[in-house]
Amino acid sequence: MSEELAQPASNYQKIQRRVFEVLDGAVLDSTSKVVEIFIAGLVVANVVAIILESVQSLHDQYEQFFHVFDTFSVVVFSIEYVLRVWSYGRKYMGTEPGLAWRGRKEYLFSMFGMVDFFSTVPFYLQLIMPGADLRVLRMFRLLRIFKLSRYNSAMEDMFEAIKSERDSFSSALFLLLISCLLFSSLIYIIEGHDQPDVFPSIPAAMHWYILTIISGWGNVDPVTYFGVALVVVTQILAIALAAILTGVVATAYTAQVQRRESLYEMEVREVLSDGVVTEEEKQKLQNLQAKFGMSNEQVEAIARQVQSEKKLNN
Amino acid sequence: MEIMDGSPKHVLSRYVEWVITIVVLVNCSAVVLDSIPEVHADYKDFFHELEFWSVMFFTLEYLLRVWSLGVKFKADEGGAWKGRKGYVFSPFGLIDFFATMPFYMHMFFPTLDLRILRVLRLLRILKLSKYNTALQDLFAAVHSERRAFGSAAFLLVIVSIVSASLMHFAEGHEQPEHFGSIPHSIYWAIITITSGYGNVEPVTKAGEIIALLTGFLGVCMAAIMTGIVASAFSNQMSRKKAAYLSQLRQVLDDGVITEAEQESLRRLQQQFRLSDSEVKAMIDEHNAEKSS
Repeated sequence: MSEELAQPASNYQKIQRRVFEVLDGAVLDSTSKVVEIFIAGLVVANVVAIILESVQSLHDQYEQFFHVFDTFSVVVFSIEYVLRVWSYGRKYMGTEPGLAWRGRKEYLFSMFGMVDFFSTVPFYLQLIMPGADLRVLRMFRLLRIFKLSRYNSAMEDMFEAIKSERDSFSSALFLLLISCLLFSSLIYIIEGHDQPDVFPSIPAAMHWYILTIISGWGNVDPVTYFGVALVVVTQILAIALAAILTGVVATAYTAQVQRRESLYEMEVREVLSDGVVTEEEKQKLQNLQAKFGMSNEQVEAIARQVQSEKKLNN
Repeated sequence: MEIMDGSPKHVLSRYVEWVITIVVLVNCSAVVLDSIPEVHADYKDFFHELEFWSVMFFTLEYLLRVWSLGVKFKADEGGAWKGRKGYVFSPFGLIDFFATMPFYMHMFFPTLDLRILRVLRLLRILKLSKYNTALQDLFAAVHSERRAFGSAAFLLVIVSIVSASLMHFAEGHEQPEHFGSIPHSIYWAIITITSGYGNVEPVTKAGEIIALLTGFLGVCMAAIMTGIVASAFSNQMSRKKAAYLSQLRQVLDDGVITEAEQESLRRLQQQFRLSDSEVKAMIDEHNAEKSS
C-alpha cells in the first residue's frame, strides 16, 4: 500500500476515493445525493413491504412479488455494504500511510456498519439453513429502517445530547430505582395484610409503583390511612420525576445548541481574520452549517456579530 | 481514610467502591425476592446466611470508616473526634448506621416486627448515593430553586383544596361514599391533578365541569414543575461554566501553565463534569478575546 501511495494517484485509487466520497456523503454533490435518495427510498419501500407482508391475505396474493423484491433489495444492500467496506479503506489514506484498515475497521464496528451487516446477512443465512424461524428473520429485516438514521442528523443530535448529560440521566434513573425500592416495600408493608391479592410481595408492589410513575395512576385504591398518604406522595413524586427527566433533556439540548453556535462562531472568526473570504472557505462554512442543522438567520446573526466586533476593534 | 473517602481517586478506592456497590445491590435484590412467599419458603436459610455475612461486612465497613475518619482533621483543628463526629452525624453516616443496626436489634429484641426491620434493610440502597455525584448535583439544583418549588407546592395545596371542596358540594349527596367529606374529596382531587385520571366518575353536570378543570390544572402543574427543574438545571450549568472560566482566566493570564495548574483545572473539569469539547471551546474563546 505504501508503494501505491508514493506514486501519483492511480486509477484504482481515484475510483476508490470517488466511491468513498459518494457513499460517505461528506462532500455534497449531485451523485451522492442521488445515491442517498435511492438507498433511502429502497429502505422505505422495504419497510412498507415487510409491514404489508404480515397481512395474511396480501401475503398469499403477492407472495411471488414480495420474494423478488426482497431478493432485489438484498442484492443492492450487499453491493452497498461491500462497496462501503472497500472504499472506507481510503478514509485515512493520503494523510498517513498504511491506514487502509483503520477506516474499514471503524466502519465495520460502528453502529451503522453493524446495522448494515445485520439487516442483510440473515437472508443468506436463510439460504444456507432453510429451517430457520421466519419471524426472527423478518425482525432482522426490520433493522433496515435504521439505515435511514445515517441520513438523519437530528437523531445523532439526540444521542449526542443524551450522551453529554449521561450523568444527570443516570442519576435520575438512580432516583427512580431508589424510590421504587423504598416505596414499593413501604406499600407492601402497609397494605400487604389488607390487600394480599394486590400486594402479595415486593415485586408485585414494584409493578404497582412503576405503573403509578409512568401513567400517574396505579389502579389500586388504598384502604388504610397510611396507604392513602403513601399513594398521594407517590403520585406527586411521579410528576417530579417526569419533570426532572424533561428538565435534563431540555438542558442537554440547549447546551448542545450553544456549543455548536460557539464552534461555528469560531470558524467564522477564523475565516474573517485574514480579511479575505475564499471560495473554499465559503464552502467549508456551508458544510458546517448543514452539518449542525443551523438556520440561515442564526448564521447571519453570528456573522453580523463577528463583523461588528471587528469594526469596533479596528 | 483515603480509600474509604475516595477523594483522591486511585485504583484501590475504586475497587472498594465496586465491592460495596455490588454487596448493596445483592442485598437489596435479596430483600425483594425474600418477600415472595414461594421463594421465601425455598431459600429461607440461604437468605439468612446472606444477611448474616453482609451485616458483618457492613459493620466492618462502618467501624473502619469511624476509625479512619479520625485522621481527617489535624490535632490542632479539633482532633480525631471532630472528623468522626462529622461522619457519624452526616446523612451518610446515619444511613450506614441504620442500615446495619436492625440485625443487632433483632438479636436483642426478638419480638420486634420483622417487616419494619426489612424496610430498614432496604435503606442500604441509599448507601450508593454516596458514589453518585450527579445525584448530589440534582439535589443542589433543586435546593437552589426551593422557593419556586415551595410556591408550586403551595399552588398544589390550594388547587386541591378548592377543587375538593367544590366537588364535595357538587357531588356530596350523589356519591357520599367518595365525596362525603372534604378530606375524602381531597384524595380524589390529588389523584386527578397528578394523574389526570379520576378514580371516581362524576355523575352531575357541575361535577363533570369541575373534574375537567381539575384535570386541566393538573397539566399546568406538571408544566410548572418541569419549567422550574429545567431552569434550575441550566442555571446550575451556567454557574459551573462561569466558575471554570474564571479559573481558566486566572491560569492563562500569566501566559504560563504549570503542571499544578493543569492538574487543578483537570480536577475542576471532572468535578463539574464538563466535556472536553466544552473546555476546548472555552479556551479558544478566551484566546480569541485575548488576541483581539
